[in-house]
Amino acid sequence: MSANLSSVRHTHGFDIVRPLSIATMIAIMLPLILLPLASIFIFGTSNGLASFWAALNAPEAIFALKLSIVTSFWATIFNVLFGLFAAYVLSKYSFWGRNAVIVIISLPTAIPTAVAGFALLLLWGPYGTLGRLLGPENVPQIMFTAWAIILANIFVTFPLAFGVIKPVFDTMSHSLEEASATMGASRWQTFWHVTLPSLRGAIVGGALLTFARAVGEFGSTILVSGNLANRTQTAPLYIFAKFNEGQVEAANAIAIVLALFSFAIFSILFFARDWLEAD
Amino acid sequence: MPDLDIHVTPMDIGKAAVTLIGVSKSFGETTVLENINFSVDEDEIVVLLGASGSGKTTILRIIAGLETLDSGMVILHGKDVTQLPARLRGTGVIFQNYALFPKMTVEENIGYGLRLRRRKKREIKETVGRLIELIHLEAHKKKHPTKLSGGQQQRVAIARALAYEPEVLLFDEPFGALDAQIRTRLRREIRGLLKQIKVPSIFITHDQEEALELGDRIAVLNAGRLDQIGTPFEVYNKPQTEHVATFLGAANILAGTLIDEHFAIADVRLEIDEDIVFADGRRVKMIFRPEDVFLRRPENLTQKYQKLTEGTVEEVSFVGAFERVSVRINLPGQDLIIVSRPKTETAAFPLRPGQAVPVGLVRFRVLADTQKAA
Repeated sequence: MSANLSSVRHTHGFDIVRPLSIATMIAIMLPLILLPLASIFIFGTSNGLASFWAALNAPEAIFALKLSIVTSFWATIFNVLFGLFAAYVLSKYSFWGRNAVIVIISLPTAIPTAVAGFALLLLWGPYGTLGRLLGPENVPQIMFTAWAIILANIFVTFPLAFGVIKPVFDTMSHSLEEASATMGASRWQTFWHVTLPSLRGAIVGGALLTFARAVGEFGSTILVSGNLANRTQTAPLYIFAKFNEGQVEAANAIAIVLALFSFAIFSILFFARDWLEAD
Repeated sequence: MPDLDIHVTPMDIGKAAVTLIGVSKSFGETTVLENINFSVDEDEIVVLLGASGSGKTTILRIIAGLETLDSGMVILHGKDVTQLPARLRGTGVIFQNYALFPKMTVEENIGYGLRLRRRKKREIKETVGRLIELIHLEAHKKKHPTKLSGGQQQRVAIARALAYEPEVLLFDEPFGALDAQIRTRLRREIRGLLKQIKVPSIFITHDQEEALELGDRIAVLNAGRLDQIGTPFEVYNKPQTEHVATFLGAANILAGTLIDEHFAIADVRLEIDEDIVFADGRRVKMIFRPEDVFLRRPENLTQKYQKLTEGTVEEVSFVGAFERVSVRINLPGQDLIIVSRPKTETAAFPLRPGQAVPVGLVRFRVLADTQKAA
């Protein structure tokens, strides 16, 4: 991290603008960001830690958290591998329609998640374009299972890993690969020994970003999962369901876990950047 | 164009480290290389000298297998490698930006070629240690390349290529990224190193001073053709084309005719020392170096002095080690010539603008005039 602070002084002695501007900034952030986050923790623990633990240990809650983590994990694995592959292909080869492909890969960020979920239903649902081909009974079922959640997660986080990896690929000197080849390396050896190590930071960063986004996904999962407790209910869906049932405390416990989880991931991304990008 | 005596005989191929035969290459409509023939002997340093766009980089890349050729052959130590991919050719390329692997330490970079060849760990360790000693980087062997200076990185790049005993070392403008002072020191260092380890090497550069200092032989390229290949002395003093003459150092050029074994311009006749290969009456060009011009008849000159004409000093400028004088002469085709004078001469015989001087030559060269007669 670079602290590129201006050193120009406009006044002699005490500069009132400095504390004033910092205070204004925090005052704006307070009701918009800081207080909402704080209230999760304040309400979640208002009845004591024991009731918080009880809410967290409810079988449905544990299942929801596990399901979120497992589905996000597989979506992350897929999107990192695909992002790596797509970045390699798109950086290395130029072909007709290359830019169109780049735009399409990036598109899911711009599509509302509800639309994404709806689109998946239209494709894989019982009467969907492909879903119909799975047979009248639609067995094996895809929609309203964990597979549907993974598909939705893949869709909405599709460009994230690619977006982090591609720029690193683009700036990588082509002569590194050429040097490796003249030294006797095959294409695969060059990728493994030379290209991949340079992408380490981007891969870890892209994976964390994808995972964080997938764990929190709501709009598309609620459409494709069916929101069945203990079967297809992810953590954000659990929060929504419990809130609707009036069990604010149960919802709150999971909300705290998800919030802490996001903090953890972004702390890693922020503070470990130096380590990730080190030689 | 005169016939160039650039030939490759089967004998050369046998003993040469690198041989190029009839190599041609086009990118689309543009011809980049046209019928390139030359060879590099064992222990020899050949410099490919040319302006950007002359095709020198393409030659290097073709030898390394990083570029395909349209026709011709590349032979490394008697083996035809024209169809082999880069990884099977065993050349050592020192890229302009060194292309050291940023995530590997100095040791790992140097050992990479041996690791790819699945050599034993102990053998790799020994070789790497010996090379690190050779390039004097013992204190830096655990460092990553970005922590090293440009010169150190370059030495690592060389050691990395030497590790797997390359067929030939190929240097792509190796001093381009360094500043002038370091450049001069490094090229002496590297020439010394190459002479010590005896590996055939090809350098490419656009810097004539670098070429003269580094090369055992210099190959001068001009728009995809090989104009001349020879020792630094030959290409500088006996250029075979006007391009070679002007690319290597400054040159004055006068157009004239060959009459009775003399170079004739206006009513001046100069005796030609070398063998005359042109027919009488042929239009020719005379080329002479600024340092081969004398602006007074020197007393104890051992070389043969011939007076060209009378001139007037136009401008005198001090350029460090010598003085550069522009002299206005009254001969057709050229009215200003450049003369350089060493310190001893400037001290003994100072000049000022407007002064009338005799213009005489101690050495010149006659080439065919490739331009059509007007």
